[in-house]
Amino acid sequence: MIDHCYDHVEAAKAEGRPIVGIMCEFTPREIILAAGAVPVCLCGGSAATIPAAEQFLPANLCPLIKSTFGYHVIGKNPFLNWADLVVAETTCDGKKKMFEMMSATKPMHVLELPQKADDADALEQWTREVRKFKEHLEQRFQTHITDEKLRDAARLMNRERRLRRQLAALLMRDRPPLTGRQLIEFKSIISGIEADLRQYERALEIFGSADQKPPTTNQQNKSLVRVLLTGVPIVHGAERVLELIENAGAVVVGMENCTGLKPILDDVDLDEPDPLHAIARKYYHLPCSVMTLNTRRFEMLRSLAATFRPQCVIELVWQACLTYDIESFHVRKLVEEELHLPYLKITTDYSPSDSARISARIEALFETIHARLQ
Amino acid sequence: MICAGIDAGSRSIKAVLFDTDRSHILASGLTDQSVEQERLAAELFEKLLKKAGLERSQISGVVATGYGRNAIRFADTTITEITCHARGVHRLVPDARTIIEIGGQDSKVISLEDGGHVRDFAMNDRCAAGTGRFLEMVAARLDMNWEKLAELARQSKKPALISNMCVVFAETEIIGLLADGKPLPDVVAGVQNSIATRVSALAGRFVSPPVYFTGGVALQAGMARALEEVLACTVRVAPQPQFTGALGAALSAGPANKAGDSGL
Ligand code: SF4
Ligand code: SF4
Repeated sequence: MIDHCYDHVEAAKAEGRPIVGIMCEFTPREIILAAGAVPVCLCGGSAATIPAAEQFLPANLCPLIKSTFGYHVIGKNPFLNWADLVVAETTCDGKKKMFEMMSATKPMHVLELPQKADDADALEQWTREVRKFKEHLEQRFQTHITDEKLRDAARLMNRERRLRRQLAALLMRDRPPLTGRQLIEFKSIISGIEADLRQYERALEIFGSADQKPPTTNQQNKSLVRVLLTGVPIVHGAERVLELIENAGAVVVGMENCTGLKPILDDVDLDEPDPLHAIARKYYHLPCSVMTLNTRRFEMLRSLAATFRPQCVIELVWQACLTYDIESFHVRKLVEEELHLPYLKITTDYSPSDSARISARIEALFETIHARLQ
Repeated sequence: MICAGIDAGSRSIKAVLFDTDRSHILASGLTDQSVEQERLAAELFEKLLKKAGLERSQISGVVATGYGRNAIRFADTTITEITCHARGVHRLVPDARTIIEIGGQDSKVISLEDGGHVRDFAMNDRCAAGTGRFLEMVAARLDMNWEKLAELARQSKKPALISNMCVVFAETEIIGLLADGKPLPDVVAGVQNSIATRVSALAGRFVSPPVYFTGGVALQAGMARALEEVLACTVRVAPQPQFTGALGAALSAGPANKAGDSGL
């Protein structure tokens, strides 16, 4: 729904609303919306911008970071060019240090993320950080963020999350009415656009109706394998592995990552007296691999496996993403020993040179699954 | 019923004609790979038919496997080399639990469960470290064939340590070692060890015996020994190591597999 995004940002610009670039699911969009600004995701999904980034950044760095920075170098991401402020956060080292370089020419605010997820005072620390962020926006954009504005923003975001959740839940069906690739196409890079929300509602009507035909397989007479995908985010333009999986005769019924279910399963509690605290809490509990210990991710995988009933789990790791790469050790163990499902890890970047090899591994996995069913 | 399997690998194309009723290989052969792989595969197929005294119409199924499997359009269907090697090796040596396959451009470690099904597998990603490509590079550098290399490696007393995993950088390292006066046999044995080490890293957690070694590189004397050393277990070279993939493909075209059954 990128087309909505252009129109939306152009209209916002004309009204004098600030544009705020974000790059992570920890960044509380509600605060930005409550400041009257537009939160836009800046994550790069294009291999084409990577060479430009490599003039400044090491080659051995996650492609998501390089692609994002590459857009900055060549000035080809209109949303980044329009952004009045970029919000960074201390998640992985690669992003943190890339942000430092970007901040030389872009106004930036950094959120410090406490990474010991279960420490008693971690959430309070994060709430303070979110409050500072609110104050920064108030000052920078000369506005006053009231509790009422925060609640309105949370209501809007809760509605968006609920619609996305409902759409994703259609894939729990025995015969999912849409593919994972179709589902991810609905994901917008801007939150809270009314046109996007209406599109979700329409999609729910169309795909949700009983007579919607499920996608067919090209592997005649074999049923589609149900896959749960986990690991790194798949940002717009970097859907290659998702496509390879589904083209090999599967439906990716659930995506546990940040571009899938991870950030939309929890809502902001509107009954909490302090809405800022409620917002901070919702975001803080995101099970990202930069957290330690990241036990919430394993709980989420267990519950997704129970509800989406996958036949295997495939983990995608962007090359040089250390946190997801190392954590995959625990994910494999959980999947094989506890869920008793086959597990496959794919490490790759944005260049398509290894597609044939990745396909062979995926097909071999599916051949084994079919053979066991016999 | 007679079935054909074609394994279009990165270096060579292998083909097998298999008689499912009498359960034996009627003919097998191989040819070097090039850009026109479909034509090469078709010619090889014709050659085998002639050798076995058969007509095309007598073949009831053709399955293609290997890196170039999708280019073999005259095949009825395609199956990955992972499943095919598992089926081929399982047919020849039913007790196999782990298969190490090292080919021209890739290497795989496959672990089997009862019945010859693939339980798990690992495969090299983007890079050619730990594959036959490494030996090819050394052979080309030294202007020798593989047999000569193996013979040299056997003479080594103290294999050289090759630390670079990347084939391109390793080439520079090897030139450096030779320039420093390292004996040739030690350098060649070092290359074999380096491939074995890389493959054992790939295998990581799942090597359970009996381990069988297959793929073109299995023919090189000394490689099985290098693997044994790093894996600390017996590694046997599978019968007809170059043809296990093609055999697995032919078996997959057989009657038990017509309905997509894995057979075996
Ligand atoms: S994976 Fe972690 S760092 Fe990346 S967007 Fe999600 S929460 Fe942020
Ligand atoms: S994928 Fe990994 S390395 Fe890349 S930005 Fe996300 S957490 Fe950082």
